[in-house]
Amino acid sequence: MEKLTVENFYKSRKSVFELTLFAGAGGLSKIIESREIQRPSMILMGWLKGFASDRIQVLGRTEMSYLQSLNREKMSEILDDLFKFDIPCMIVSKGIMPPPIMLEIADRKNIPLLSSKLATVDLMNKLATWLDVKFAPKVYVHGTMVDVYGVGMIYTGKSGIGKSECALDLVERGHRLIADDVIELRKQGDNVLIASGTNLLGHHMEIRGVGIIDIEKLFGVRAIRMQKRVELEVRLVMWEELPDYERIGIETKTNSFLGVEIPVVTIPVSSGKNLTAVSEVIAMNFMLKVYGENPAQTFVDRLNDEIRRKSKLQDYLKEDVE
Amino acid sequence: MVNLAVEKELKIKNKLGLHARPAMLLVQAATQFQSDIKIVKGDIEVNAKSIMGVLILAAEKGSIVKVIADGPDENEAVDSIAKLFTDGFGED
Repeated sequence: MEKLTVENFYKSRKSVFELTLFAGAGGLSKIIESREIQRPSMILMGWLKGFASDRIQVLGRTEMSYLQSLNREKMSEILDDLFKFDIPCMIVSKGIMPPPIMLEIADRKNIPLLSSKLATVDLMNKLATWLDVKFAPKVYVHGTMVDVYGVGMIYTGKSGIGKSECALDLVERGHRLIADDVIELRKQGDNVLIASGTNLLGHHMEIRGVGIIDIEKLFGVRAIRMQKRVELEVRLVMWEELPDYERIGIETKTNSFLGVEIPVVTIPVSSGKNLTAVSEVIAMNFMLKVYGENPAQTFVDRLNDEIRRKSKLQDYLKEDVE
Repeated sequence: MVNLAVEKELKIKNKLGLHARPAMLLVQAATQFQSDIKIVKGDIEVNAKSIMGVLILAAEKGSIVKVIADGPDENEAVDSIAKLFTDGFGED
């Protein structure tokens, strides 16, 4: 994973978090190693044990008003304690202007001191979400990601089996492409998998015999999406290479990406087969299951009832000797 | 028995890097083999048989990529791809 520097953070989040860099610019190359955020109140009170100094430190109004209530000597003593640690950066919220002595120490210790105009709660929330994304485990998968009726489907299978062509067909029918060929999967929380493309790739796609096309240019914004939760894997395989595929649909196979289990539907491909219609059905069937309906199960239950009813009748008739 | 994949680190020699033409040569070479072939650069891993994948690596001159082949003809596949790299894809 690429290292996340304070400079990356400052430059990319400057406008969203309404950040201003006040001091410690010499420390912009520092690396943010932790996804957590810390309020250093205990340090200000003089308790230095167990201080998580690898985290971004956020000082809110309470901390700042405490600091400002102190005389110059005491304030400088406490700040010296705080800045002794190798902190990646410090953010003062609510647009509070840090006292001059704090700027001076930050400059001396090369620890970036930023100020955000956001309220502390807001800043903490946004920062936590952003860090979660940045620190999320990632993996690249060869496949095609399409949003079909709002269901995130990742198509996998050998090169040339027709993943891109299937996606193109789906886009023509009003579904949306997330990315083709190289899919970045990111784990969010414990069991959510988010798929997106890469910057360079955008919504380009190679169609064999045609070359590289741009789905966004051809079909407009309605045909694309930047990211989507992965809900299903559709695995395309050659008809001949597949010994047994699901004929009824009551068993669900899953595949694990970054430890997140995703249901897999394996579809045998043959020429002349309409993958688009099948894809739409897969998506709708998935939604039915999410809403608590399972057509395959319902059918199997009905069949079992019928068999039971018949055998009961048989038993009754067998005893029926007059 | 565990069948290990064959891998090799390769350096881009030609000035223009892995642009469209070399990428096409690479994909053409890879497609001739049955093995699964991957190209890794940094934290991105792509399928060597897909042109989009190879292109988005945007590999520049001097950068190192790793070729990983797994399958019945993995050795031949890696050798054939390695040769393209050492020849600088026929470019300066």
